[in-house]
Amino acid sequence: MIYLAIGFPPAAKSSAYRMRETANQFCAQGWEVTVVTICQRAWEREYGLDHSLSEGVDPRIRVVELPLMREDLETDIRAFDEARSLRPQHWINELRKRELKIFPEPVFGGWRHVLEQGLLQVHRDKPADLLMTTCAPYVNLAATWRLWEESRVPYAIDFRDGWSVDVVGGGPAFAVNSIAGRWERRVLEQALAVWCVNEPIAQFYRDRYPALAARVQVVRNGYDADCVPTSVRKPDPAAGLTFGYLGSVNFSTTLLDSVLTAWRAARRDDPVLARSRFEFRGHIGAGARREANAHMELLTAAASDAVIFGGPVPKAKVGATYGQWDALVLMLVGGRYVTSGKVYEFMASGLPVLSAHEIDHDAATVLSGHPLWTGAVGLNTDRLAASFRSAARLAIEATDAERAAGRTLALRYLRSAQLAPAVEHLTGLVRSVRVTSAASRPDRIAAPAGDTQS
Amino acid sequence: MTNVLIVAGEPPRQEAVLIRALEQFQAKGCRVQLVGDFVADQFSVDPALAEFHALAGTTTRTSARRSLNRAQPSRRLWLRAWRDPWVRQHARQADIVVALDALAVYTVWEISQRQHRSDAWHGLTPALKAVDVRSREGYRPAPLPLRRAVSATAGIMLRGIRRSAVAGVTETVRATMAPTIIRTRAGAWLWRRAVSAPGLPDGLRSRLTYRVHVKMVRAGEPAAAAQTSAAAAVHLKNRRIRADLLMREATEELSMGEVPVCLPAAVSAELVVADDLYAKKDFRKSAQALYKAMRLLFHRIVHFDQLSSPLVSDPAVFFAPLRASVAAQALATPRNRVVPAAGRPGGRPLRLLIATNGNDHFLREIRQHYENLPEVELRFVHFKNDPVSEPLTHKAGQIVEHLLAGESEYGKQVEEWLRPHLDWADTIFVDWCLAAAAMVTLVDPGTTRVIVRLHSFEALSFWPHLVDFSRVDDLIFVSDHLRDLTTAVLPELTTENSPRLHVISNAMDLSLYPRDKQANARFTLGLVGISAVAKDPRWTVEVLRLMRDQDPRYRLLLIGDGPNPEASESVRHYHDLLTQDLAELEPSGAIVRLGQVTDVPQALTEVGVIISSSVRESFHCGLVEGAASGAVPVVRDWPFFSGMAHGARTLFPSDWVVSTPAEAAERILKLTASEELWRSAGEAATAHTIATWDWPVTREYFDALILNTPDRQEPANLLR
Repeated sequence: MIYLAIGFPPAAKSSAYRMRETANQFCAQGWEVTVVTICQRAWEREYGLDHSLSEGVDPRIRVVELPLMREDLETDIRAFDEARSLRPQHWINELRKRELKIFPEPVFGGWRHVLEQGLLQVHRDKPADLLMTTCAPYVNLAATWRLWEESRVPYAIDFRDGWSVDVVGGGPAFAVNSIAGRWERRVLEQALAVWCVNEPIAQFYRDRYPALAARVQVVRNGYDADCVPTSVRKPDPAAGLTFGYLGSVNFSTTLLDSVLTAWRAARRDDPVLARSRFEFRGHIGAGARREANAHMELLTAAASDAVIFGGPVPKAKVGATYGQWDALVLMLVGGRYVTSGKVYEFMASGLPVLSAHEIDHDAATVLSGHPLWTGAVGLNTDRLAASFRSAARLAIEATDAERAAGRTLALRYLRSAQLAPAVEHLTGLVRSVRVTSAASRPDRIAAPAGDTQS
Repeated sequence: MTNVLIVAGEPPRQEAVLIRALEQFQAKGCRVQLVGDFVADQFSVDPALAEFHALAGTTTRTSARRSLNRAQPSRRLWLRAWRDPWVRQHARQADIVVALDALAVYTVWEISQRQHRSDAWHGLTPALKAVDVRSREGYRPAPLPLRRAVSATAGIMLRGIRRSAVAGVTETVRATMAPTIIRTRAGAWLWRRAVSAPGLPDGLRSRLTYRVHVKMVRAGEPAAAAQTSAAAAVHLKNRRIRADLLMREATEELSMGEVPVCLPAAVSAELVVADDLYAKKDFRKSAQALYKAMRLLFHRIVHFDQLSSPLVSDPAVFFAPLRASVAAQALATPRNRVVPAAGRPGGRPLRLLIATNGNDHFLREIRQHYENLPEVELRFVHFKNDPVSEPLTHKAGQIVEHLLAGESEYGKQVEEWLRPHLDWADTIFVDWCLAAAAMVTLVDPGTTRVIVRLHSFEALSFWPHLVDFSRVDDLIFVSDHLRDLTTAVLPELTTENSPRLHVISNAMDLSLYPRDKQANARFTLGLVGISAVAKDPRWTVEVLRLMRDQDPRYRLLLIGDGPNPEASESVRHYHDLLTQDLAELEPSGAIVRLGQVTDVPQALTEVGVIISSSVRESFHCGLVEGAASGAVPVVRDWPFFSGMAHGARTLFPSDWVVSTPAEAAERILKLTASEELWRSAGEAATAHTIATWDWPVTREYFDALILNTPDRQEPANLLR
């Protein structure tokens, strides 16, 4: 099989975990897997590389890197021409226009032709029985379609957060008859299976394309077992607690400001918190604005409130990082369509979790029943300050039994438990397609009953 | 030690981030210099972390300051930075040059073109990484490949030359476009040569030509402007750009209230585009271009807001571009009706539908008459009063598109709305040759007979060109000269396939007008209707001046509102001149403005001499009503039609018509020399108008045409 997975390890991206597990699962089920991604230099312009991620990749997996990278993130001014150096933003705007003409996705649309040719070449070198495509970027759909048109290679789409659904604002992101809408419909119509990361997104697609309903599945992100801390630190109220956030900072500055304001207020009122610190780990910004944007300014300016930015954490050290903290702050954008991957990790850590996101959020669905969760209170700073105090109390008072209960609740979200049944089901579909006849149409293939999570 | 030079185009937005980065640079053993285009009190930094240098203030030299102000902001920063010795010195010493913001990128790029061994980065984190790379053991800066080094040096020279050239050219352009220069023969020659220089890109040539054209027109040199545009236009390879240039020039001149000197060229260029698109069967875009050309060709400033019109003086020349256009020919292609109009029905009244989308003032007597006639069942529809048809009347562009494409959604909407009316009516009478006429002939009329009446101004508009006359059975004009003008505009009206042409005077109930006049009315001139420039009330004012030179008892009554200066610049110009006349003559009572009156017959009792001073009229009801009231008529030989086969001199008794204000004054002095003479001349005028144009007379003509009864003799001036 070919696995088109831009962001595959060693890319230091949050999606790399899911990609790694997906490839490993296919490998475990007997597939010869060729991963197609982009060159490692490209990730240097974004969040960089995490070679510890590659350590968990099954050695039988072959990786093909295409010579693609984001031109807009170039920071070496010597590589600029005069026009770009004179008006950098205008140059990027013009680039976007050119990209959109090639494929209706800004930033990545221009990759279409290289992706198409790359995929065709990989198939020529080693003919595939299945193409698994994961988005984003959505330009991958163009290459998927090209391979289908030329070689009729069956394919499935790991759509994760979907395309036509606006996961942050809710509702459709573009019309069915728009150029992007026509692309999405055309490619999805022939897909063996369409995976989404949560039920609201899956339902959106079932409603949008009723003919596809039976093929749309929920395959949640889950967490990796090696991210769970092996030992838990004993909170020391006298010395102060350590709150932590681990993940890419991709939420708004408003949200960050609310959390920092609430943190400041909580420290004023609570002597334990006044002695405590709040540690941020992860990626902030890319390109020229890497660790030099408005988020970074807020964090740096909050140093006097014992807020610390410690930079990204390699995958191999994620568990240990959680092990140094007493409570976690879960900051997320969006609402019911957003789950995020980190919620599962946070849950499995056995640490108290403070929610800083909308009340109607899929993360709240996941965390429901967790004994060390402060609950979703929205983004009001007073309520968030109360949540900080509550999380501090939970951290100090939590029993081993409660921590264990939290971990047990998370067990069902183990990433392998999410992906193995989905990969197995897809494998069965491909076999049935091959065994029956070319006349078997994707829309006659039923998905397994229910959500794969349950 | 690594030397780092950070360039900031604006005060740092993320100050804490910058301080943190400076600390990191310090921790890595770097020496950091920060240069910013802001004063030190906008940003403070610990000197231990970095040395801050604010760029020197702007030069005091006016020309240099002007040159800087014209530069793009990012280039301006570079020009100022490179003039600063501190920047030049530290740029030479820097191992890593960093742009803190987008504005500073160009400055860092320029430095990197000169300092081949230094790094140049956008953003602090990439720069910090570069420090790490440089501090690795065994690091040696890679020399710039020779080709890139040569290319960078050549680029520096070229940019310098280009900037000097651009600055020089800009100064020269400004100086040589001054009105005093551009009015000279040498100035005009210079610009004609400049815009027609070979090798200029189309876009640049177009922009330059437009500027020169406008400057020349404003300097009062329209002929030179036209020559310059023509010289440039032949070099424009892109037809769209050529048409856009000429149309833009024409539009600019119209906004000045002038008839564009480049009007024929602009129309021709736009029609070329329309024809190209028509050949490609892109009917929508072709229609857009064709309609654009027609709107310019028939612009109101060209025909209505002036005292003359190029259409009237030589229709053949004026319409030559339109007649040569393939798209325009397609527009005029007759579609014919499927079946001929049926005769008058037997056994029931004639169903007559009167329709219009214009002023219904001229329909009053006609509607009253047929409403009371048992042989006729009358319906009246005003397209403006129906919520469905009203918006359809505004879509002339869509009519053009429909006629080119042969079908359209617009056509379907018109058909849907109009069909029930056509199914009901035996005869449809469309007053005014405007949108209603175009819409009625857009669809096949079935067996319904179609009659259209053209009054006057339509002949100078694009509307008759959107009417399919092969679907019109009878076309009525209100005077012979309007028929002559219209057939000159639309020669197809004289072919075999054309409708029957008729001349029937306007329907007027003149019996209301003869009333007693006071003796002092003898010295009162009257002018009814002065809202249009074409009425030229200043001609009458000139007559009044001549009269008052002889006898100060003469005065002028102006009935109706004056011209609206907001309509166009040329109307404003005329309005301003008229206002000056009024300011001079009104205070003494020589001119009295009555404005709009509800009872015109009563107002005319004060008028002893009725004047028609218009440059064009189709009939001039106000004059005829005045004559019917017993005022002595004085008619200017309407210049639009003077010298032609028909005009004021053939419409009215020849003694009514004069050529000049002096002749008018002479006629008035002669006929108002005594009360007896004046009353006698007035009575003769009344008798003539009542006998010739009163409704009982013209009604016969209408009945003959509309009722189409074989037992009635068609009047002599009904033409076929």
